[in-house]
Formats: sequence, C-alpha cells, structure tokens
Amino acid sequence: MSFIGLLAKENEDRELLGGLLGELGYGVEGAGRLEEALEFARERKTRAFLLVDGVGADAETLTRELLRAFPLLPVVVALKVRDASRAVALMRVGAAEVIAPPWTPEDLKLSVSKGLRFQGTALSVAKAAPLSRSPLWYALAVGLFLAAGLGAASLKRAEQNRLAAAARVDRWDLPVRHPAGLAYDGKSVWLVEWFTQSFYALSMDDTTVQVVRHLTAETPVAAAFTGEAMWTVSADGAIIRRMRDDKMTPLTRYPRAAPNSAGLAFDGLYLWTLDARAKVIRKHLVDRELSVLAVYKWRGTKAAGLVYDGKTLWSLDAADRRLLRHALERPDEPVDSMGLPEYAQGNYIPAGLAWDGKRFWTVGEAVDGKSPARLVRHQEETR
Amino acid sequence: MMRASFLVPALLRFPGASARQDAWGRLLKITAGGAELSTGARLTRGETVLLRFELGGERLTIPASVRHSRPDDDGQCLAELRWNDLVERRRLARVLLDVLSRV
Repeated sequence: MSFIGLLAKENEDRELLGGLLGELGYGVEGAGRLEEALEFARERKTRAFLLVDGVGADAETLTRELLRAFPLLPVVVALKVRDASRAVALMRVGAAEVIAPPWTPEDLKLSVSKGLRFQGTALSVAKAAPLSRSPLWYALAVGLFLAAGLGAASLKRAEQNRLAAAARVDRWDLPVRHPAGLAYDGKSVWLVEWFTQSFYALSMDDTTVQVVRHLTAETPVAAAFTGEAMWTVSADGAIIRRMRDDKMTPLTRYPRAAPNSAGLAFDGLYLWTLDARAKVIRKHLVDRELSVLAVYKWRGTKAAGLVYDGKTLWSLDAADRRLLRHALERPDEPVDSMGLPEYAQGNYIPAGLAWDGKRFWTVGEAVDGKSPARLVRHQEETR
Repeated sequence: MMRASFLVPALLRFPGASARQDAWGRLLKITAGGAELSTGARLTRGETVLLRFELGGERLTIPASVRHSRPDDDGQCLAELRWNDLVERRRLARVLLDVLSRV
C-alpha cells in the first residue's frame, strides 16, 4: 500500500481527505503541523504529500519546507477557495498538482497519479509536430501520396511511350510512283508528283490522301509553305506564289527564277532555292523580281530537296543518301551531315524532304520505276 | 528537444465573452510555435485562451488558439496550442534560446 502524507490544520479537512484517499486505496498519515508530517514521512514509506491551503497554513511555505526535506516526493495542494493565480503560484514553488474545491475522489486520484508520473516540460525552439491530426488530414495525406505515385508512374509511362514513338521509323507506300518533292503546311505533309502534275495532302497519322490538286498547265517539282502563302516551283524554273485556298490561286509568277530546282525553303525573310544542275544554293529577296542576293556552292552529289528547320537549312543528297546541314550565314560549308539508313538497300532513291517541327520526312522513288513511291517518317534522334 | 527538471505551470484566462473562470495547467511541451498543455479545464478546438507563465525568469503572456484537444488517460484535457501573437512568439523564442543555452 502506498502511503500519502496528509497535512491539514483543521481536523475536518483531515477527516474528509483521509476518507477520500482511503477510498482510493492509499494509506494516510494525517498531520496538523509540518513537524508531524515530516516525522511520519521519515517513519513510513510516504509516496507523496497532500496539503490543505488555508488560513494559518500557508501552502507555499509548507510546500517549500516539504520539498527541502523530501525533494523527490510530489506535493499536491488542495485549495479551500478556487483561485487560479494561487494555484499557479503554488505550482511555481514546486507543488506537483493543485486541486480546486469541491474535492472529489476523482480529482484526488488523478492529481496524485499525475504528480507521481510527470517528468518535466520539454523545451525546443523549433516547432513541434502536431499532437494529433484529424482523419481528414490523414485522408488527404494518403490521397496526395497515391496521386503523386500515380502521377509519377503515368509520367514515366508517357515518357517511355514518347521515346518509343520517337525511335520508331514509319514507312508507307503511296498511290503515286513519281514523287518530286515534299512540303509541310503545319497540318499535313504535301507530296509533289511531277508525272500527274499534282499535289497530294497526306494525313500525318496514316498518310491517307486528304486533298488532291491538279495543275494542268505546269509540272510541279517542289513546294514550300509560309504563313499566308504557298510557293511552288515548276519544271521550267518558274516560282509561283499562291494563296492557301482550295484552288491554290496563283498570286505572283516569277519566270525562270529557279532553274533545275531540287527544292525551295523560306526562312521567314528570304527564299532559298537549290539548283540541282548548277549545284548552287540561291538566296532570294522576296521583291518584285525575287532578286538573287547571293549564290553559294552546294557540296553534295545529287540535290533532291531543301528545308528550313527554324534555325538552319537542310538539303537532301539523293546519291549519297544523306542530309546536309547549312548555316544561314555560310550555306556553302555544311556544318553537319546525317545518313539515311532507310535508303541503304538501294531500292528507293530519296526525292523529297520535309520537316514537321520534330522529324524529317522523305519520299523515295522506286528504282525500278514501277513500284509505288515510299514515304518515310524518320526517327527523332537522327536529327 | 531538452526536458526541464520541472513542469512549467500556466495560468489560463479566457475571453470575457466566454464567461469562464480562470484555470491553470501544466505545459508539457513549449516551442516557439506553440505548446502542449495538460489542464483540468475543458478546452475545445478553435478556442482562444490567454496563457501566463514564467520561463527563464521572464513572465510571458501569450494568446493562443487550441488546435487539437482530447482527454488524457487521467481524464484531464490534453491540448495542443498555437501561439497567436507574433511579437510574443519572438520573445518566447529568445527566452527558449536563452534557457536552452544554459543547459
């Protein structure tokens, strides 16, 4: 049995509190004066003290004296009048707990047990983790975790799919046999066919023919698109600027502006043409005569196409089956070249080149002249 | 986190509108952001309470709001408080630094 030292000046208080503590299973040694309480505490194995604060029994002084003699024993003070400031003052001098009136067995029990159990205040400058969190917080945390996991997994999958798609080379056989050039208008790839004197707009997904335009008066060999116009070159070297309407209405005609043309490209300011026979690249000012500003030697073998990728010019060399990269300042000195392994078997000769913003497209004419032309979408990494 | 050799007692005052008597309790944990309080008074979440206590020889009076509250094993109220007054929070942080630097 645990003994509690009870110090109360008035007999009534001793009897009341002694009875309550007895109900709780504690042994009680009642004392009216400090000396008696100290003597009982020395004789018995007292676990704690219970003081009554009142007139003639200042609990502050008594608490100090008790703690001086028994510094490790908890001192619980019972107030006769509820006074929060007094309670705090008593705790400040060392009272483990203070009980307000009316005294109840429950209050006594929890005060004594708390007094026996409490250690000390934990101090930290850093903010502590919350004591408890609501179920909503946990639900949100779990939801966020799952969402982050799913997001990361889907991003990873999307990246894998993108890389797989980028590495893929697509080939399609076309319903024509004599391609002369390719162009990209922002939505579709346009095939130029000299034999039927036609332009074919092809779907980017499966290259089905979406639009066909026949030009009965001329033989087209190359084309290029700008924001508001379509530029075509015919076999006689005429460059024609057209509206981008259903009829490809001619706007301006420049006779013999691009003889033996293998391709043309527009860089946003100048028009560039590639002359296959003279093996030169011409830089044109877009004026009334489409004046030639400069002529640069082209250092390939057999010119077959020319495109602008937003930074540089690329020309297609059909004999060597490769692309040559040209800086706009010095097109006569290729800064890079890229092989076209898709034409390594020799069954097809590349005849046209386009750039869709991410990949190169080429069209090849069968060597036997009878098989359908083949359209190739090259893999992204090869650029 | 350091543990003091004593429990810091605190006086609890409530806004006049709540018409509640002053109460007292023990601060089980004190940080610059808030505190953990054990008290016989019933505190509810969102309630505002003014705490007065002494630490490192300094008297602090800080308004706090109750973030969480639940009964402990003894039936008393165990509450997590967050300090509301930025100025007093800074002062408390300085006091804590001072107290902890002496350990």
